[in-house]
Amino acid sequence: MRICLVCQNIDCKSRGSEQLMSELQKRITAKGLTDVEIKPYMCFGACQEGPNIVLYPEKNWYAKVKVEDLDEITSHLAGGPHVQRLDTIDSSLKELIYQLLDTGVL
Amino acid sequence: MEGILFSRGVPEERKGLKNYLACGGYEALSRVIKASPAEVIQQITDAGLRGRGGAGFPTGKKWAFTREAQGESRYLIMNGGEDEPGSKKDRMLLEYLPHLVIEGVILAAYAIGASKAYLYINGRYEAATNSTSDALREAKAASYCGDHVLGGDYSLDIEIIPAPHNYVAGEDTAVLEVIEGKIPQPRQKPPFPVTVGLFGKPTAVNNVETLANVAPIMLHGSDWYRKFGTPDSPGTMIFSLNDDVNHPGIYELPFGTPLRHLIENCGGGLKNNKKIKAIMPAAPSSAFLPPEKIDTPLDHNCMRDAGSALGCGVVRLVSEGTCIVEEVLKISDFFTAECCGQCPACRMETNTLSMLMKKVQQGQGGDAILEQFGKVLAFNKGKGYCNLIAMPGPPIESALKLFPGDFAAHLATGKCPVI
Repeated sequence: MRICLVCQNIDCKSRGSEQLMSELQKRITAKGLTDVEIKPYMCFGACQEGPNIVLYPEKNWYAKVKVEDLDEITSHLAGGPHVQRLDTIDSSLKELIYQLLDTGVL
Repeated sequence: MEGILFSRGVPEERKGLKNYLACGGYEALSRVIKASPAEVIQQITDAGLRGRGGAGFPTGKKWAFTREAQGESRYLIMNGGEDEPGSKKDRMLLEYLPHLVIEGVILAAYAIGASKAYLYINGRYEAATNSTSDALREAKAASYCGDHVLGGDYSLDIEIIPAPHNYVAGEDTAVLEVIEGKIPQPRQKPPFPVTVGLFGKPTAVNNVETLANVAPIMLHGSDWYRKFGTPDSPGTMIFSLNDDVNHPGIYELPFGTPLRHLIENCGGGLKNNKKIKAIMPAAPSSAFLPPEKIDTPLDHNCMRDAGSALGCGVVRLVSEGTCIVEEVLKISDFFTAECCGQCPACRMETNTLSMLMKKVQQGQGGDAILEQFGKVLAFNKGKGYCNLIAMPGPPIESALKLFPGDFAAHLATGKCPVI
């Protein structure tokens, strides 16, 4: 199963991450991506760059995501290209979070 | 040796003005009001008084910074937020010896040149608030505060402010926010309150116990004060023991007293004759010490050299038969709950540590999960506005080092090793 983690901490929520989760779910369902599960995440530590979405095990991190970006992210999940312009997070934070996810902290 | 504050033990009832005056109360103020503020600061500096709120910062230095900072007015704040789990000392001082604290507040305000002082008291401590309020009325009526203190030129208005009951509300810059009518969230430092504090003015924020030491020092002198304690940490400190010992309570002891004396002679040892598995000298944020460190002197430097800290004197004992993983999970969850939420790094760190600890407790994840604690702590080191971000680290890292077996058992079985 592939997992799409959407941050649901205070900052990301205040920037609309709850709506992002539900909108993303609709698009995933519409595309028939049955191998993708959307889950909330408590905090990636990049609140100022939120809302944040992390794809795992692909290890792709999309920051400052808006509803209008979700079609491209859904396409990426369906095998399309990586959305480069949303990949802005510092590599050291990415490495820390990916290591945490590798240990099974989901 | 007798104490300095509770020199005859904790009184059975509140000491009112008459009783306080009979013990030399307000004599220090009567003398000091004729001296220069600089002399007060010098005396406190010579005495080596250090803050009792946890950091142990030299009080004389803090006052000198505040007095010398640019500004047309200054403030003195007594910090009685006291929301550390298990700490009782500040509320006991305010409840039983309110005039001792108030005299210290007046002396401190005079020293830094403040004409307004705030008594910030945890709103849950009704008895302490009422006792302080009564004492303040008595002191004002007797001209120890208010307009023209003891008939002189100096005037000081003192006001009680109820503190919200959460941990972060006791952080010195969060105190400033609350008094300014905002929510209790720490400010970024620098600037420090001594230069830019309450309403942007130089402000000294001192713990209740720190201020309670001021009048005795001014009355008896710094040489007398230095007869108690150690050269590094002169005087006494009030320690809080809780339900893990036979005689819970607060105990005032000279700095440098061995930890063993506090635990065995004062606290009567662990309940049910249990043996000590670990000691936390400054709960909940210090490193655990193994039982063989029980003779460590209760002194800032000695505790640091032993690998822990003195904090504000809440000593917690973990008995044999207690699983350290469960203990550390509670501590992690405490800091997660108390994180005010404004700093992303603190939010991520506290939440992640709690989540990792929960995974360990439930036996989810292999040994690799244990390596993540250090990585998360290292990544967030030095970040955040206040010190809360640094607090979960010492208990977690010391527990991992001292009790690897408890963690291994949880990871293997999802259960405590001792049950």
